[in-house]
Amino acid sequence: MTTATLPGRRAYRRNRLGMVAHQVRYEQLSFWRNPQSAIFTFVFPVLFVVIMGALFGSVGKSSYFGGLSALQYYVPTIAALCVLGSCYGQLAVALAARRQNGVLKRIRATPLPAWTYFIGLLAHCVLVSVADLALIVGVGRLYGVPFPSDWAAITLTLVLAAASFCALGVAVASVISNAEAAPAVAQLVLFPLLFLSGTYMPIHSQLLNQVAGWLPVRPFNEALTGPLVRHTGADWRHLAVLAAWGMIGAVVAVRRFRWDPRPE
Amino acid sequence: MQQELTRGAASAAGHPHQPESHPPDAITVAGLRKSYGSVHAVRDVSFSVRHSEIVALLGPNGAGKTTTLEILEGFRARDGGAVEVLGLDPGDRSAVRDLRERTGLVLQDIAVEPYLTVRETLARQAGYYQGPRDVPEVIGLVGLTGLEKRKVRSLSGGQKRRLDLALGLIGDPELLYLDEPTTGFDPAARRGAWDLVRELRATGTTILLTTHDMAEAQALADRVVLLNNGAVVAEGPPERLGGRDNERARISFTLPPGVPVADLPVPADIQNGAVVIESADPTGELQRLTNWAVQRDITLSGLTVDRPSLEDVYLRLTGGGAPSGAAERSLR
Repeated sequence: MTTATLPGRRAYRRNRLGMVAHQVRYEQLSFWRNPQSAIFTFVFPVLFVVIMGALFGSVGKSSYFGGLSALQYYVPTIAALCVLGSCYGQLAVALAARRQNGVLKRIRATPLPAWTYFIGLLAHCVLVSVADLALIVGVGRLYGVPFPSDWAAITLTLVLAAASFCALGVAVASVISNAEAAPAVAQLVLFPLLFLSGTYMPIHSQLLNQVAGWLPVRPFNEALTGPLVRHTGADWRHLAVLAAWGMIGAVVAVRRFRWDPRPE
Repeated sequence: MQQELTRGAASAAGHPHQPESHPPDAITVAGLRKSYGSVHAVRDVSFSVRHSEIVALLGPNGAGKTTTLEILEGFRARDGGAVEVLGLDPGDRSAVRDLRERTGLVLQDIAVEPYLTVRETLARQAGYYQGPRDVPEVIGLVGLTGLEKRKVRSLSGGQKRRLDLALGLIGDPELLYLDEPTTGFDPAARRGAWDLVRELRATGTTILLTTHDMAEAQALADRVVLLNNGAVVAEGPPERLGGRDNERARISFTLPPGVPVADLPVPADIQNGAVVIESADPTGELQRLTNWAVQRDITLSGLTVDRPSLEDVYLRLTGGGAPSGAAERSLR
């Protein structure tokens, strides 16, 4: 049989990296066309910084904000909030929905390896997080927050946090069996955590800060605040806590993730 | 579904994936068992599907069709019995990747992402396979030509189902599982889908389908495997299932007003307001009946002669019109 060119067939043989790129490309297409994601990724963070700017724009460096200006305080926490939203929140909700409507089962029926699917999701979430961070830093500049300089530390923090919060998002999607419940559960876990971690206002309780320091959100806020506005380098202690949470999420995700809407 | 089906050089030379000496059957299932807790979903299922054959799995809800399919597809582990699909064991994790490369799947749920276009949806799926079909070719095959740039969310239910079918075909499978493939199709689209399935068989694709539509099983299947309560209760070509070809013919008509049943020249029953005569000699009994009617100037309105339909056999073998199966059909 001459196999030089079979009409109706195309050589799609690609390496594994190509497969991840293929996956990311369509995740991105799907994501940006969804008006909801575009709004939450672009409009929400800008609006948040603008509101904080209007409220506290004139508040200079103060001890209330830990020696920072209000906007210097809020640019990293809002950036962290957006990364949380586009990694943890997005994945928990989207994966639960995809499982429920059969999209995951359909993917499982193809030769696409599971890890390629998840690496693709992670890469997609990192890209969205980078866009978010750039946007917030850009808008923050308009309110007098200077551009950061240590981009290596920022990149490291961002990628590590994105990976950890993606793992936690997949873990939550694995534990929830009902797609309708997913947004509520994901928010229910996140909302008190955000308050406790000083995302919305600085916390001056020693005890609360100690507790929050072992939970995932505050270490991320701290790890971003360092290189973004304090001009200190990578915050290894807080990054280690983040990574530990990522590992916990990954273990739960690997053990509990299901592709099939119907339980065995 | 106007486009001519071409499987490259494969139509003449056999399927390119297929080894020279492949096993005689595409699927063999022997003594399959599967329980969920105390529920025996599959008790004892054995059947086989030959290469290039269309086999329909029939049975009421809960008969074990979906569980059987999911075990064959490698989605579920079996408790007992032997299963071989394209010479591989779907329960063997190392075989699953190869199996998924060579099989296609159309599931019951419409599972497509809303914000991609028709072409993007298929191109994405095509990228998962080593040797996929051409995207425009598949779009033509399922009759979605002209809708390539439409977003999936703007498609009608029937169009989404056709896209689902296209996703099952894009990997150029040797074996295709169709789980109630034409649910939600209009009659013309259903005919088109049937033609497509027959064309696929003609080019060497093996098809295992489930359906609640007896007309579909009758029209498409070379053989029917009827499940009830987790076991095979009948198997054979649709026209001979359950000894259907040897059964008595049935003459029926509306009882003329003022005529008691006892006056009829042949023994008869009343079923659902109609006279029904089950007959081993329909020629003779029909003549006695019509002579009797003509002499009395009586019209036998709604007069029909038929043999038990596939649906009659189905209902008899699965417990006589148990409402579970019927209810689902009427809903869809």
